[in-house]
Amino acid sequence: MSDEEHHFESKADAGASKTYPQQAGTIRKNGYIVIKGRPCKVVEVSTSKTGKHGHAKCHFVAIDIFNGKKLEDIVPSSHNCDVPHVNRTDYQLIDISEDGFVSLLTENGNTKDDLRLPTDDNLLSQIKDGFSDGKDLVVSVMSSMGEEQICALKDIGPK
Amino acid sequence: MQGFSGGGDGATAELAHLQSTMSAIEAACTSIQMHLNPAAAEATILSLSRSPQPYKACQFILENSQVANARFQAAGAIRDAAIREWAFLTAEDRRSLVSFCLGFAMQHAGSPEGYVLAKVSSVAAQLLKRGWHDFSTAEKETFFHQIKQASLGIHGVHVQFIGINFLESLVSEFSPSTSSAMGLPREFHEQCRRSLELDYLKVFYCWTRDAALSVANKITESDSAVDEVKVCTAALRLILQILNWEFQCNSNGKKGVNVFSSGIRQDAGLSNRSECILVQPGPGWRDILISSRDIVWLLNLYTALRQKFSHEGFSIDCPIAVSARKLIMQYCSLTGTIFPSDNGQLQEHHLLQLLSGIIHWIDPPDLVSKQIECGKSESEMLDGCRALLAMATVTSPTMFNQLLKSIRPFGTFTLLSTLMCEVIKVLMTKAPDEETWSWEARDILLDTWTALLMPLDSAGGIVLLPPEGVDAAATLFTFIVESELKAASASAFNDDVDSDYLHTSISAMDERLSSYALIARAAIDVAIPLLTRHCTERFTRLHQGGGSLDPTETLEEVYSLLLITGHVLADEGEGETPLVPTAIQRHIADSVVPDKNPVVILCSSIVRFAEQSLNPESRSSFFSPRLMEAIIWFLARWSQTYLMSPEGSQDSSYSSKADNMHQVQSISSGQTVLRYFSEYDHGKTVLDIIVRVAIATFMSYPGEKFLQGLTCYQLLHALVRQKNICIHLVTLESWSKLAIAFANEKMLFMLNASHQKSLAQTLVLSASGFRDSESANQYVRILMGHMTAYLVEISSKNDLKRVAEQPDTILSVTCLLERLRGAASASEPRMQKSIYQMGSSILNSTLILLEVYKHESAVIYLLLKFVVEWVEGQISYLEAQETTVVIDYCMRLLQLYSSHNIGKISLSLSSSLLNDAKSEKYKDLRALLQLLASLCSKDLVDFSSDSLEAHGTSISQVVFYGLHIVTPLISLELLKYPKLCRDYFSLLSHMLEVYPEMVGQLNNEAFSHILETLQFGLHHQDSEVVNMCLRALRALASYHYKETASGKMGLGSHASSLRNPKGELQEGIFSRFLRTTLQLLLFEDYSPDLVGAAADALFPLILCEQGLYQKLGNELIERQANQTFKSRLTNALQSLTSSNQLSCTLDRMNYQRFRKNLTNFLIEVRGFLRIV
Repeated sequence: MSDEEHHFESKADAGASKTYPQQAGTIRKNGYIVIKGRPCKVVEVSTSKTGKHGHAKCHFVAIDIFNGKKLEDIVPSSHNCDVPHVNRTDYQLIDISEDGFVSLLTENGNTKDDLRLPTDDNLLSQIKDGFSDGKDLVVSVMSSMGEEQICALKDIGPK
Repeated sequence: MQGFSGGGDGATAELAHLQSTMSAIEAACTSIQMHLNPAAAEATILSLSRSPQPYKACQFILENSQVANARFQAAGAIRDAAIREWAFLTAEDRRSLVSFCLGFAMQHAGSPEGYVLAKVSSVAAQLLKRGWHDFSTAEKETFFHQIKQASLGIHGVHVQFIGINFLESLVSEFSPSTSSAMGLPREFHEQCRRSLELDYLKVFYCWTRDAALSVANKITESDSAVDEVKVCTAALRLILQILNWEFQCNSNGKKGVNVFSSGIRQDAGLSNRSECILVQPGPGWRDILISSRDIVWLLNLYTALRQKFSHEGFSIDCPIAVSARKLIMQYCSLTGTIFPSDNGQLQEHHLLQLLSGIIHWIDPPDLVSKQIECGKSESEMLDGCRALLAMATVTSPTMFNQLLKSIRPFGTFTLLSTLMCEVIKVLMTKAPDEETWSWEARDILLDTWTALLMPLDSAGGIVLLPPEGVDAAATLFTFIVESELKAASASAFNDDVDSDYLHTSISAMDERLSSYALIARAAIDVAIPLLTRHCTERFTRLHQGGGSLDPTETLEEVYSLLLITGHVLADEGEGETPLVPTAIQRHIADSVVPDKNPVVILCSSIVRFAEQSLNPESRSSFFSPRLMEAIIWFLARWSQTYLMSPEGSQDSSYSSKADNMHQVQSISSGQTVLRYFSEYDHGKTVLDIIVRVAIATFMSYPGEKFLQGLTCYQLLHALVRQKNICIHLVTLESWSKLAIAFANEKMLFMLNASHQKSLAQTLVLSASGFRDSESANQYVRILMGHMTAYLVEISSKNDLKRVAEQPDTILSVTCLLERLRGAASASEPRMQKSIYQMGSSILNSTLILLEVYKHESAVIYLLLKFVVEWVEGQISYLEAQETTVVIDYCMRLLQLYSSHNIGKISLSLSSSLLNDAKSEKYKDLRALLQLLASLCSKDLVDFSSDSLEAHGTSISQVVFYGLHIVTPLISLELLKYPKLCRDYFSLLSHMLEVYPEMVGQLNNEAFSHILETLQFGLHHQDSEVVNMCLRALRALASYHYKETASGKMGLGSHASSLRNPKGELQEGIFSRFLRTTLQLLLFEDYSPDLVGAAADALFPLILCEQGLYQKLGNELIERQANQTFKSRLTNALQSLTSSNQLSCTLDRMNYQRFRKNLTNFLIEVRGFLRIV
């Protein structure tokens, strides 16, 4: 069991910068941004000015990638914003345990058992139904700023 | 009349029946009003109008019911039933229905429920029109005699009103644009229109005028509103309606326009101006409209009314006053052959008469506007302005000016200018976003100027204004500029302007500025020096301020000055190269020496001002982003017309000619300006300044997206579009500085990604300025070399997986892809080689990135778009060897994309993120389809030297294979996106039409997916999609038929019925589609345009499946209970396949015959098949 190694890896991740500075003007719709300490996906960008002859500002409307809440922010477009490092990893789904955790197979053959199933019934049933149908499922786990969540599901089918 | 035919023996029984119908309808009407069970009530009312021959019941209700609504509904029911059953009614029935309605309206003329009477007389009008060809002249005369009597007032005022009202409905029924549907072809309506115009319209006009005359005295004599007012208003309205008629028959019998072919009226150009419809009734109307004293009478009537406005019952806005004014305006728009060709004397006289009446509404302007500000209604003044607009539209500027001279010491232009100054003065006191009367008046008056300065018939020609007109324009323009400047400085500190509002008002402002420019050009001698003076004054003020004073107000003034000057000096190109405006072209004064030419002075001073933005000190003190926006906009617009124009460079011996005074005299002002800014004079210096200013907007205005967008899309695009500019651009040091900065400078990687794309495109396009293709390719290689090297470097990193997801890496990759995409979209034959190399050097890297970023949809989309544009630009030039490489690559790309996405479900708490994911998928797939479509085009357009087949590559095979990969990703859900749907079906139908033989080689799964989507497409709302599916079907069926006829396999197993593993019989595809197509044609709703395509598909389908077709036909016949219908259907089916010498070969002739047969078949049977 290389539990140690696994721990080491996640520590290295935590040590890496969670966010990067990026000029507000370069952030586009569908990009990521940190608003109020939350990693978000931008769904709308508009620009305005501070006074007629002032400088441009960007107005972002974004959605928290984990809890789906809407957040807004206004930043002068030449200033820097924080952009979160969003990481996605694919794992094969091995098991769903009774207490709401999933068991996942990592690339190097270990298992990852610390991820909870989503609490939302709709998402939950999409995962559970697929699994109980006996399909071979691969889940994508999105992680950013210390949080993790299953974000996509794929049926790899019989080979 | 029959009534309910089974009405029993006794009259009492019938009466009881009628009573019960009436109470049922009454109850229904009441319950609708009370909102009690409206659906049931509506059904009851509908059942009345749908029952056969409900006339007796309806008449009974009309005459006896106490409920006005029930009477209203009964009248409607008569209309519906009679229109439906018209063909079955006897001549007597028809006549009596019309005369009943007319008589009813007249008898009850005094009834308070006007709307019932209006409905009844409109029913009478519709029935009269329906029977227009059926009634004899004598019958019509009887009706019209009755109407004439009524409208002349013989039976009293109320009946008179009804008479006029009936005529109004009649005229609107006969006018094609307002007629109601009768289920008859358009030709019928057209015949009615012509008949009414030729035989009756003038008569109606006279009756109505006489009616109005008969009551006018009563109105002018009495002090309060009387019943006669109602009649007079109606009469005026009817005259207005008659004058609004779309006159088409000129007196010489020639039809003006062919209404069937030209859907657009001649004066369509007017539609964007304020409501001003030209009235062109032709010379036949001259004696009635012009020579009679009608206009004098009308003006007198209105003058009399004006005096009564203070009294009770009359006001400026009372209906009779409004109608009278509208009619007066309508008289102003009279034009065309109604006036004899006497140099416009009669027309001038006519307009003068009108103007002398109208003048009191608008003159003196200051008094009028003061009164309105004190609370008087503005409608009279606005109507006065509209009348001016109408006159301006129908006269020449000289005649327009002359009109007023005989009654005032000044001409009409002076009035127009004073009036507009007054309006603008009032407008300045209002908040900018408030819609006030002055706003509307200004727009109408601006339109008046436009009508005078840009008449519709002289396309781009020169309009010479009388001297007074020029002076008036000069005064007005001076005033406009001053007030715009005042408005600008006043609004300088309003920063709460809503940005949405700003964007919608931009186009309105643009239109306004264009009108200002027209006025300025009319007085160009004054306008240009005026603008120069204003500009210089502000520029100096900014310099003197030097940062100590707040320059904001001046900045805003310069901003609007630049906008105005840009509009005055140059027109918008809209993709074409705009010419120097005629006024500037022509203008002679001071043009001899370029340095003294006012236009040169103005342009140079602005260019010099722009150049100062390169100085960091003045940039920081007053070149705000907004000011730069105006500068860039101005430079873009200006340079398209003036900079290095081919016209200015034609004459390279210009300097030698300058010595020759005689020659110089004949050089127009426009040419002087063009030469001054040509490549032989100051052109290159100015171009250099422009490029350096553009660089400054990128480097020194970080994050100013809008400004940089203007520079990319307007300024630089405009520059590289002109070849003669490109030639010089590539030699400029500043341009290579831009190219180097683009490749290396971090600042330019910070630009908005789509701006980077545009910049890459611009830079690559400028390579067309090189004299030979070798240096052009070399330039592109150097320019893009950095990008490709960088991308390869990123993709070959060992720890790519880890760094790829870091935001800074994503940003770099995005920017690189955008730039490559921009460069790829600039493919031109001259640079094709280097752009191919650019793409082919990163093919592997893109596949690696596709793998790494499979979760990062934004990057994937960009990558696909790059590939699409690169392949699209290159494919037709590629040699066989290269094509094979590209095709292999595309297939790998498709497979990889498909393996990542098939069966993938996104999970998210947020519905908007889920929707995003869906639309991203849609965009990806659309890009993939476009990729396949451009691969397809290789078979059609190919510039390469050797054939592909020689290398063993078949495009069709490749595309089908690609479709096979892509189609599983396209779910029926995704086909709901209209664009994707169209793309998919157009590719599919193209493939099936051109390569039907490939379909047979598809495996079952792919084949059935294609069929499933075809089935889906046949029932799509978009008729274009249905059309494409039908074309695909035709291709498949005719291929199969031809192949099997010559003893080959055709589609083989796909076509024949099969037992599937479960033992059920599965129909062959052609049987299935034969059923669907027939079902569609006979029983479903579709656009009539599809019948042709459906015929083309149905014909080969029938030939393929003749047995089934017979069976289906018999089933259809069996289903008919009615004997008549049965035999009709049998005959129709018979002639569908046998008439017109249809034979069993699939050639053009037979397709055409079958189209004809099918159309006849559908006309014959679809009606009853759908109903029964």
